Amino acid sequence: MSKKINTKYLISLMVSIFLAFAVGAVILLCTGHSPLTAYGAMAEGAFSSLRHVGDVLEYAMVLAICGLACDLGSRVGIFNVGGEGQLLIGAIVAAQIGVSLDGTTAWLVIPLAALGAIVSAGLYAMIPGVLKVKLKVNEVITTIMLNTVAASLCQFMAKGPWKSANKTMVSATENLNVRYWFDGLIPGSNLSTAIFAAAIIAFLVWYIMQKTTQGFEMKLTGQNPRFARFSGMRIDRKIIVCMVISGAMCGMVGMFRVYGSEHLFKPSVSNDYYFEGLMVAMIARYQPLATILLSIFFAVLKVGAEGLQQVGVPNQIYLIIQTVVIFFMAAQSGFLECLSVRLQKRKAAGANAPGGPEAEEKGGAEA
Amino acid sequence: MREPVINFKHISMQFPGVLANDDISLDIMPGEVFALIGENGAGKSTLMNILYGIQTPTSGEVWIKGRRVEEFDPRNVIEQGVGMVHQHFMLVPSFTVAQNIVMSKEPRKHRIFFDNAAAEAAVRKLEEDYGLTVPESVPVEDISVGMQQRVEILKALYRGAEILILDEPTAVLTPQETEELFGVIRGIVREKHMTVIIITHKLDEVMAISDRVGVMRKGKLVGIHETRDVNQQMLASLMVGRPVLFDELERTGEPGEPALTVEQLRVLDHRGLVAVRDLSLELRAGEILGIAAIEGNGQSELIEAITGLMPVQSGRITILGKDVTGQDPGEIREAGLAHVPEDRLATGLSGAATVAENLLVGKQREARFNRWGFHQNQAAVRAYAEEVYGRYDIRGAGVEALAGDMSGGNMQKVVIAREFSFDSPVLIISQPTRGVDVGAIEFIHSRIMEKRNQGAAILLSSADLDEVFRLSDRIITLYEGRITGCFRASEITKEEIGLYMTGSRQQGGKEA
Repeated sequence: MSKKINTKYLISLMVSIFLAFAVGAVILLCTGHSPLTAYGAMAEGAFSSLRHVGDVLEYAMVLAICGLACDLGSRVGIFNVGGEGQLLIGAIVAAQIGVSLDGTTAWLVIPLAALGAIVSAGLYAMIPGVLKVKLKVNEVITTIMLNTVAASLCQFMAKGPWKSANKTMVSATENLNVRYWFDGLIPGSNLSTAIFAAAIIAFLVWYIMQKTTQGFEMKLTGQNPRFARFSGMRIDRKIIVCMVISGAMCGMVGMFRVYGSEHLFKPSVSNDYYFEGLMVAMIARYQPLATILLSIFFAVLKVGAEGLQQVGVPNQIYLIIQTVVIFFMAAQSGFLECLSVRLQKRKAAGANAPGGPEAEEKGGAEA
Repeated sequence: MREPVINFKHISMQFPGVLANDDISLDIMPGEVFALIGENGAGKSTLMNILYGIQTPTSGEVWIKGRRVEEFDPRNVIEQGVGMVHQHFMLVPSFTVAQNIVMSKEPRKHRIFFDNAAAEAAVRKLEEDYGLTVPESVPVEDISVGMQQRVEILKALYRGAEILILDEPTAVLTPQETEELFGVIRGIVREKHMTVIIITHKLDEVMAISDRVGVMRKGKLVGIHETRDVNQQMLASLMVGRPVLFDELERTGEPGEPALTVEQLRVLDHRGLVAVRDLSLELRAGEILGIAAIEGNGQSELIEAITGLMPVQSGRITILGKDVTGQDPGEIREAGLAHVPEDRLATGLSGAATVAENLLVGKQREARFNRWGFHQNQAAVRAYAEEVYGRYDIRGAGVEALAGDMSGGNMQKVVIAREFSFDSPVLIISQPTRGVDVGAIEFIHSRIMEKRNQGAAILLSSADLDEVFRLSDRIITLYEGRITGCFRASEITKEEIGLYMTGSRQQGGKEA
């Protein structure tokens, strides 16, 4: 019964992407670069070597889980803008668990670190959830504010109590013992076995949202909370639970970043990755499958952007293209509506032109 | 024979996908009351909007007093002497009655300043001329709905209307106010030789007030009759296109044990004011208790408190002997209550979900739809929805279509089908047929009666008094959150009950 992404949406998505690249090309031309060379370098940057493909997949994983976390919140009508903070909290807790249990078997450390990330980030996300349900505090404001709190808190911990002995790092925890690192799948790239865990999470989230009775109730809660409550659902609990799971997913991303690629906590484990995931989710209209596919697309753009630098194009061009795609996507529903209204008007005008009776007959049949 | 004051000549109006008016030709004679009836979407309002210049017809002509309307623009039409009172009043609440009436043609002092004294004088003159009294200097927000309607009529008269269009004028009125309105209409027609066109779907009113009646169906004018030549049954059949039985609904069985009790209930409305004042009632199995009240007298709050949507300030509610005061809607449903809410789109369904999903809600956790306790069995959901869809004669684009895309009547059938499917011993039904077509009304009424005969205890609230009378065994009147009377439906007339609804009469006991 899940509403599939319709062809109309797919077409307008393709058109938006094409237009975005066209606008990007104009910008490139204006700044004196050849669009063909630049886009070629971009593709090369993303696909020329296995290492780059690995980086693309790793980044796509981060975007997809963050995006799905956002999807999950939106399903019950809550907009989790606080994933960035939840991610950082999960990352630092997971890192510190690994550091303080140094010497114990990986079979204990990894599950504990995952649990730590899930619980800490989940609880952190619970705050805006509870405030929303009990006190009707707007979750957008609280989650944004809690991002700042989390970032500062993590920085304080990484500079103070949990700071590494290594003097060259200003704010970072100790390095994890190599035995706890997720195995790299492609040498030299960030890709690690974490992607398998991420795939399981993604599947579960998709399955719950699209195929289960719980997912059905979540959807109705998001569509019309008054109706959901009227028909006997416990919507308050659903909203809080979804917020917690959404936060826990972000926490897991933090753990993946630490155990899969960074091997310690530093503030740059996430460079607003959650916000990019959130944008992907919005462009995908909060549909899980589309979120995953678009994550790969944006990961290609991001990693490919490094290739741009090699041909002398500032990689900000990537940001411009991304922004323009979002612009066009945001405008697309308006575009389509405008077009279809015009088409209908033209049809109506055509039908009612000279051949009056015939047109009326036709209209009557339709009515 | 005199010249018609308005002629419609072959009017057609094409909207995207719908032919709202299909080759309509109609003459309105001066000095007559012409009733235009038809189901929702039959094209009555479109035709009147064309006459009033709000819409331009796709083809055809309108002639007013022998002159062809060149440009469809309300200003132009108002000048020709046409006035319209819309169903939803177009008044500025904070302005006084006189200010509202003279608006757009205000008397001025020194050409610039609004002359309030002159305005009130002009309104007084108007009142004398037409025998319609209004409190000139009171803000419109402080007067009753019936009085506001008078203001609308005076506004049209002030602008020089000789032809008055009234769009569903009695929808918001009590029987007394309706009678008064009809008195006014008769007066202005007889003494001022005005012409009145009244849009309605209440057939008894057609019989009471009109000289001629035109029936519209699916955009076509299917008949014009002298009112004295027809009866309600004939008109209903013409409107729907098939015979409609207005027979007594069969009532079997006697009321049984109390199923729902309300004791000393006090409820606050959204603004924190007392909406239900220490109200007590008892509802028995196998009876329909109707609530007759003018909108805003506590009936909505009473129902929302019983169903758990609104908090209870004080008092006690029990269902089948179980105390459910202050419980959430889910727990109250479990105790044995189902609820058809007054506003189907806001409360009764999710427009963004499919019809099948809307029919499923409330049953989604049953084993047959819920494999292994969590996996939704979508094949079973679909099969179930198809079955209900057919049984309740829901018409639309199938069970996979979005509920929000359906017509109001079919949406209402979805809500009723779902709520009746729980077989709850207590049913709370609010506005079961608001905005629903005559054919569907018949269907819904017989379903409600069927539930009663099967032993359900039904609390019915409706703005349509005819409906309350037709279905109820007992009727209570509410005024300002209190019960002002309790009657057997067979022992009271509509006129009499109006006095209790407006608080001008009250019974001693005040308990139902």
